[in-house]
Amino acid sequence: MSVDFLIETKDLSKHYNKGTIKALDGVSAGIQKGEVVVVIGPSGSGKSTFLRSLNLLEMPTSGSIVFEGHEITDPKVNINIHRQKMGMVFQQFNLFPHMTVLKNMTLAPMKLLKMTKEEAEAKAMKLLERVGLADRASAYPSQLSGGQKQRVAIVRALCMNPDVMLFDEPTSALDPEMVGEVLDVMKSLAKEGMTMVVVTHEMGFAREVADRVIFMAEGKIEEEGTPEEIFTNPRNPRTQQFLQSIL
Amino acid sequence: MTFKERFFLNFIKDSRWHYLTDGLIVTLEVTFFAVLLGILIGVIVAAVRSTHDKLIGNTKSKFSKFILKFFNSIANVYLTVIRGTPVTVQLMIAYYIIFVTSNNKILVAVLAFGINSGAYVAEIVRSGIMSVDEGQFEAGRSLGFNYVQTMFHIVLPQAFKNVLPALANEFIVLLKETSVSGYVALQDLTRGGDIIRGRTYDAFFPLLAVAGIYLIMVMAFTKLVSLLERRLRKSER
Repeated sequence: MSVDFLIETKDLSKHYNKGTIKALDGVSAGIQKGEVVVVIGPSGSGKSTFLRSLNLLEMPTSGSIVFEGHEITDPKVNINIHRQKMGMVFQQFNLFPHMTVLKNMTLAPMKLLKMTKEEAEAKAMKLLERVGLADRASAYPSQLSGGQKQRVAIVRALCMNPDVMLFDEPTSALDPEMVGEVLDVMKSLAKEGMTMVVVTHEMGFAREVADRVIFMAEGKIEEEGTPEEIFTNPRNPRTQQFLQSIL
Repeated sequence: MTFKERFFLNFIKDSRWHYLTDGLIVTLEVTFFAVLLGILIGVIVAAVRSTHDKLIGNTKSKFSKFILKFFNSIANVYLTVIRGTPVTVQLMIAYYIIFVTSNNKILVAVLAFGINSGAYVAEIVRSGIMSVDEGQFEAGRSLGFNYVQTMFHIVLPQAFKNVLPALANEFIVLLKETSVSGYVALQDLTRGGDIIRGRTYDAFFPLLAVAGIYLIMVMAFTKLVSLLERRLRKSER
């Protein structure tokens, strides 16, 4: 086991229907601290399943995941502790509709990190200011636009001081004019050195921000490399085919 | 007899109105505690059933699988038996067979109606839990909340709001269902009216009075629920 990786997966597989469907088929990958890894691939390629298994929202059928030196796929490990260190942002935002923006952000820090209300709210307000939403703190999610919701979802995850942020197609449910504001927040996060794993169709973002791009198809990693290598000189014919079909 | 004389005969003479007020107290007592028991049983059974459905696919340990399946099948048997038999029969079985040694009719009625209501509450609560988007659950878990914390802080508050009308309806049904308490000689509101009818040979006044009291209670309760609903809908504006 290499200690250089923040997250390392070994031979990760996820099978459905007694193995007839292989959403993940032996994925081994490592993510280093401070690295921005973008996962691309056609729909059904297993990229979302891969991302969601990193914090065990999907339970892999076999294989292992080591996060910060702990093998979290071991059933004896308390996954809740480790999930606190892995922020996640969803395609559908998943803000809690019965709570204000501020409550959305302070709930977990107060209950899980035992922050006082004042501490949690101060932290939340600081983060809201950063994404330009301080004036929406007392609004309910239904009163926000899609882009605002996703920005709140990002800072909600940041309130837990995560060591890595997982993004599951964060801009796919947004109107085109709102994609930019969310990507800007993600870019500034990357610039600050946050470790990020991003599943996305935004090739511009991948090219500009990613340290490494992983191309997946049919549950396998087909090719990985720097954005330069993947986008200008893809070696694998499947990568070439995929990039041709979307660019 | 004039209207006034009939009214006097049915309600005032021999303080017959006491049959109604005493009966009303019994009805309210039985309903109140049966509702509490029904909620308690209902939430537990709903928790067992939805925990089973949510976790069975994600559990690897054989022991946990066995525990989940074991409690789930008990819950299923309970739901099938209670929902498959009439409440009047259940009440009589409780009184004449299970608690035959007990003299406390109110307690027996509370248990019978509470256990009965629990089955319906369980399915209402479960449908509420299922109505909350799976993403809400995942968002809670991804922040580091465990299963119970996620249910408690995130899923159940939303589920409750979604099922409040159905839940209120169940309690209205329960209030009215207690009117079969007379089968085990419990003097509830309905029985009280019926006793007056037996004394005065006048059905009109006592039965309409009984009907009116039920109606007023249901209307008052409905009003309360709609106030609560409006408060809970605050976040949707």
